[in-house]
Amino acid sequence: MTLLDLIFNGNDTVYERVEKAVSEAVEKYGTDKAVAFPDTAYSLPSYYAMTGNKVANLGDLKEAMGVVKSMMTRNKRLHDGFQSGWATLLCAEFYEALKYIDGAKPYEAPYTGHLSDAYVREQGVPLVTGDIPGVAVIIGPAPTAEQGAALVKSYQGQGMLVAMIGGVIDQCVEQGVKTGPNVRILPLGQDILSVAHVISVAVRAALIFGNITPGDAKGLNEYTFKRVFAFVNAFAPLDNVTLACGAGAIAMGFPAITNDYPYRVPKSLIVQPDVDKWNATSLEARDIKIKITKIDIPVAFASAFEGEIIRRGDMQIEFDGSRVDCFELVQTKEASEVEDHKIEIIGPDIADFPVGSKQSIGYIVEVAGKSMQPDFEPVIERKFHSYLNCVEGMMHTGQRDMIRIRVSKDTFNAGFGLKHLGEVLYARVKSEFAAVVDKCQVKIYTDPEQCTKLRHEVAIPLFDKRDERLLTLTDEGVDVYYSCIMCQAFSPSHVCVVTPERLGLCGAVSWLDAKATNELDPQGPCQVITKERPIDERIGEYEDVNEAVRKFSQGALDDVSLYSIIEKPMTSCGCFECICGIEPLSNGVCIANREYAGMTPIGMTFPELASMTGGGVQTPGFMGHGKHFISSKKFMKAEGGVGRIVWMPKDLKEQVKDRLNATAKELYGIDNFCDMIGDETVAEDPETLLAFLEEKGHPALTMEPMM
Amino acid sequence: MPFTAKSGKFNASIKAVTIGTGDKAITIGGENVLPFYTFDAPIENAPKVGVEITDFGMENEPECIKKYYEGCTTLAEIAKKAASFEGVDFLCFRMEGGDPNGANKSTEELIAALKEVADAVDLPLVVSGSKNVEKDAELLTKAAEALQGKNAVILPAREENYKTVGAAAGLAYGQIVGAESSVDINLAKQLNVLLTQLGVNASNIAMNVGTATAGYGYEYVASTMQRVKAAALSQNDTQLQMPIITPVASETWGVKESITSEADIPEWGDQERRGVDMEVQTAAADLACGSNAVILKHPTSIATISKMIKELI
Amino acid sequence: MALKGLDIFKLSPKKNCKECGSPTCMAFSMKVAQGAVDISACPYFSEEAKAQLSEATAPPMKTVKVGTGSEEFSLGGETVLERHEKTFVSKTRYAAFVCNCMDAATIDAKLSQIPAVEYERISEKMYVEMIYVNYAADGQSDYVELVKKAAALGRTMVLGCTDVEVAKAALAVCKDSKPVLNGATPDNYEAMNQVAKEAGVVLGVSGANMNEIYDTVKALEAAGNKDLVIDTTGATIKETFANTVQLRRAAIKDGDRSCGYPSIVNLRKLAKGDMHLQSALAAVFTIKYGSIVVMEEVTYAEALPLFGLRQNIFTDPQKPMRVEPGIYPINGGDENSICLTTVDFALTYFLVSGELERSGVPCNLIISDAGGLSVLTAWAAGKLSSGTIEKFWKEQDIESKIKSRKLVIPGKVAVLKGEIEAKLPGWEIIIAPTEASQLVKFLKDM
Repeated sequence: MTLLDLIFNGNDTVYERVEKAVSEAVEKYGTDKAVAFPDTAYSLPSYYAMTGNKVANLGDLKEAMGVVKSMMTRNKRLHDGFQSGWATLLCAEFYEALKYIDGAKPYEAPYTGHLSDAYVREQGVPLVTGDIPGVAVIIGPAPTAEQGAALVKSYQGQGMLVAMIGGVIDQCVEQGVKTGPNVRILPLGQDILSVAHVISVAVRAALIFGNITPGDAKGLNEYTFKRVFAFVNAFAPLDNVTLACGAGAIAMGFPAITNDYPYRVPKSLIVQPDVDKWNATSLEARDIKIKITKIDIPVAFASAFEGEIIRRGDMQIEFDGSRVDCFELVQTKEASEVEDHKIEIIGPDIADFPVGSKQSIGYIVEVAGKSMQPDFEPVIERKFHSYLNCVEGMMHTGQRDMIRIRVSKDTFNAGFGLKHLGEVLYARVKSEFAAVVDKCQVKIYTDPEQCTKLRHEVAIPLFDKRDERLLTLTDEGVDVYYSCIMCQAFSPSHVCVVTPERLGLCGAVSWLDAKATNELDPQGPCQVITKERPIDERIGEYEDVNEAVRKFSQGALDDVSLYSIIEKPMTSCGCFECICGIEPLSNGVCIANREYAGMTPIGMTFPELASMTGGGVQTPGFMGHGKHFISSKKFMKAEGGVGRIVWMPKDLKEQVKDRLNATAKELYGIDNFCDMIGDETVAEDPETLLAFLEEKGHPALTMEPMM
Repeated sequence: MPFTAKSGKFNASIKAVTIGTGDKAITIGGENVLPFYTFDAPIENAPKVGVEITDFGMENEPECIKKYYEGCTTLAEIAKKAASFEGVDFLCFRMEGGDPNGANKSTEELIAALKEVADAVDLPLVVSGSKNVEKDAELLTKAAEALQGKNAVILPAREENYKTVGAAAGLAYGQIVGAESSVDINLAKQLNVLLTQLGVNASNIAMNVGTATAGYGYEYVASTMQRVKAAALSQNDTQLQMPIITPVASETWGVKESITSEADIPEWGDQERRGVDMEVQTAAADLACGSNAVILKHPTSIATISKMIKELI
Repeated sequence: MALKGLDIFKLSPKKNCKECGSPTCMAFSMKVAQGAVDISACPYFSEEAKAQLSEATAPPMKTVKVGTGSEEFSLGGETVLERHEKTFVSKTRYAAFVCNCMDAATIDAKLSQIPAVEYERISEKMYVEMIYVNYAADGQSDYVELVKKAAALGRTMVLGCTDVEVAKAALAVCKDSKPVLNGATPDNYEAMNQVAKEAGVVLGVSGANMNEIYDTVKALEAAGNKDLVIDTTGATIKETFANTVQLRRAAIKDGDRSCGYPSIVNLRKLAKGDMHLQSALAAVFTIKYGSIVVMEEVTYAEALPLFGLRQNIFTDPQKPMRVEPGIYPINGGDENSICLTTVDFALTYFLVSGELERSGVPCNLIISDAGGLSVLTAWAAGKLSSGTIEKFWKEQDIESKIKSRKLVIPGKVAVLKGEIEAKLPGWEIIIAPTEASQLVKFLKDM
């Protein structure tokens, strides 16, 4: 027998049983007898949702049996299995409905049987918001009563709604687990067919919250698959009726987990022999993420502690990366390599070290997730500073392998240990990066030898690899750019187009940052811009980019180029780190940074330049940009590149010198290019500047005229 | 040579949202022109004016408001009185007592108060929360449930709690979701996108894009509203075409120009007149910038703004 | 479409002679493009270039100057329809109304009310800047005497007078103060134009409808007068609003320069004695294109919201409004009261000071110079740091002015606590909540 045969068999068994019950009821009451569940406006909800037809009386029900029969096709295809699964669930609903004839109350406490519309609405809200992360449907008795109760409690602890059928109910009662709608543990009934009541909840959720039109079976299955995070836990042995019900659940998108069965279907019918692992297996199978709401540490966690300074005399311990080997790291792993919420301490804990001593520490936060990308590692890592500083009595400075952490005596005395450091990292990463991090575990090393080894063999090579990646990221090497409209509050029509070689003009948003922002907050300020339709490679103009700019500027801007300051230059908001502007006499540009207060050879100060170029308006010849952009190969590429830079304030020159010299060397073969660039000590007017440039043989003088 | 004005009619329009049920139901939005630009195209649904009362009844109100409610002792009486003022189109019940940093009234107590108010009047209702996002998630869910069938506006769903408030008001109990963001067109849009992704029908959303008293950073309010309308109409941005409801009274009756007594600053003159003018001017500015409804408190303000709207439409 | 600075520069003499007052031709060209200086300031632009540029750089809306000395105001000159596009440059001016149809006592009462309103708000002096002196043919007082009386207040006047001879007589006593003569109609514009020209004053044009007004403006332009304002007041509020908006829109959006003049909106005619309605309309026409708004009266009740609204609307959309740094005692705070500090961004100041007032707790709000940015922006830009606070404390000599050593810092910059403690020894640094709305409870609980 194939799995399909078994489903068909289960389906046939149920159909026969229900057909008999319906006939008996008709015989007893006549076809006009009303059939309904109490407190619902959705008739027999599952049947209504699937077919669009309401059942009012036994006559209708008889007819409905015919409709169900027509669903029970017997081709050897998956579709037939699903249809038969649904047919089984509908039969179950009919069977249960018969019990309510004449206002009967077929279920006594603790059993709930049918659940009212009011309950569906009430629980539906937290289900939609994710406050109830999922629905567990547990069928049959667990191998032991303890295991059954433990499983139910594990789901309850995660805030889930639990529906129980059969033996597991008795196990819970035996173990003293409180049940009932108010604690979200629903003992539906002993008979497997009482599963109809939880299916009815899911179906009504789709009708109420998903606006699914009754009769739209496809829409119904799609909604329950996408929005109702339910799954089935059915204990072995699995009979064919339970299997047929399970097939219906699978059709709705709910995977089933059991502990012993000869068949399995990837992602749908999963066998996990170890019942203690069912919680994790189920969550993973249904892709349910549990929200972390509180951090389990013995001291307070709040931004008010961010600026706390722990003085030498107050500190219990110091981990000092400037003296000994320390590091912090995020690493992406496979899901199978990460056990969620595992916190390991390798080496002595704080209590084991002498008071006031300097020690090594290295912690690796290993994360796994379907949407996780190694590019997000540094984005997550950069947050550690803020996370750890928010702990009362903890101070963290630096990053990567240059960190320093102090823990105060008070905090230590409150019971704080390294495990809690792990708890903080775990909880914050899981909650703030829930969009990309599905699982997270923390390894904390304090053994000095291990720290040294891991720092040099794991951490530093990884940091180097990341830096390498940043350096080698080019505009040509990526498929998409990102828009950034974080500053539109100030500059309504400004849109930054962030590319690997042209970071946001505030200097704070790199392409990787924008990418991460987009991934973490898909509706947020950074949106993907494709670059499939180039118009002019020379100035960096794309049809796609123009369309995006038009959209995000609400029509204020038509087109921009990425690499030109003269032709359709990118607009500037008001937060730019630097402005460059044409200095006509020397055929080049001057750059002024925000900190520079003096005059430029253009004849305008930074504030004057800013007032003319800001506000999201295109100003040919002038452009705001970030400091890092100065040494980019894409800087004014259309006009000849960095060779156009004839002047910048001395401080700024110092900051960008190394990289700018390297770029000039690569582009023009010029050594020490920065020495050719004027600054305020050389000239603040164009004539003196020109004389200086001529003396130095600055390349701009021999370039094509800019205008 | 005659003066020929070009029409500023747009091809896109603001979504029309109906609040309340039956004869007293009101519709806001629907226009395809800028505020009061009836010379470009007729504006079918004039902006509406609401009256605000709170769960504190008259407890915290200034004397110049209290006197209009003389003899009212219960919330029901206060609500009836408020509904009787000239020019009132809808009633807003603000449950400010729910704020955990304030009176921290229980949800049950506030819902009971809400029901008392809702039963007393047949006007369309706007329910407004406690300013605390966590409390509001719970409070507004219950409020939406309590008002089933009333087609009320549940305000505010904010970025932090939009899922709960949106699911309860917009999905579970069929109310209108009041999406509140703070003076930023992109945040306003983002919230609408999130709400529609949640499954809330776009025509069951009204926005509060932020509010301020005239003189108190009002430039951000003006520009946000104007930009929202421009994007909705000229760019046909469907995620910004929801009508705007702006609470005014709760802002203006807190500033010193409105509440300082004449005794404290004699040269400023009569406090009531000052308070009304602050409320009236802020509301007028809101309407000129794009609000489709304003929520006021002083009966004279309500009558004045209502008259101004009639004159302009 | 205004010309870009670079286009202007291409036509410039490129000699950096500095005679125009700008250090380079590039700087000059950028300023011309912005409308900050007139191209005629450069003696070396070729006539050809000037002609080419003047048409392109001329603003769509004329800037008209009225009044003299400190009471000289620019009207019009706007380049956009909404303030977020670019700063509105000429504030709406409010004119209090008097008329020779009033009896002497009423007139005196009205005139004495005008100087009663005067106060400062965020470094701006607020007062009733203009007086609208209306002439009624059947008036009971002498118009010229009324003008004299009004002129004595030193405000810039608008003479609402369509009688040519009376206007002439009135101007004879006040023309040096550069009033507006709001008197041209389709019937009298030729004569009125003469009167205005001779007196050297701006002429206001009115008519029964926009067509009349438009024709009259065209005729006056043909007669060489472009020093005009347009009285857009119609028979109804609706009509007035339509006139005012359509005029401005035709000028800015459609480039019809004959519409590009400042407006006069006479609310006295529209509100008909309903002072609150007048208040509401004043707000509407502040946002929608009223250059001079005439009001039956401007008491503190109207002024407090209206001047605040105007101060908000007529700001640079890119530059947040700032308050003066300094110590602001609140609720009777003295040298022993607790101190709180925040940034000089006006919005932050108003929010925080409002909540502090509500708390009733005596305290000192210390506003340091943070470049007018909000707390987090200032912090990110390095304009709010332990260093800037230390510097400000020294500059203002706070420690000698205040004895309290408790300082509450914004919750959003809790991160500064330790550094500030280090830089301000002896001070206890306390972290405030992150939202101003939580301040009342916070202070009360302290």
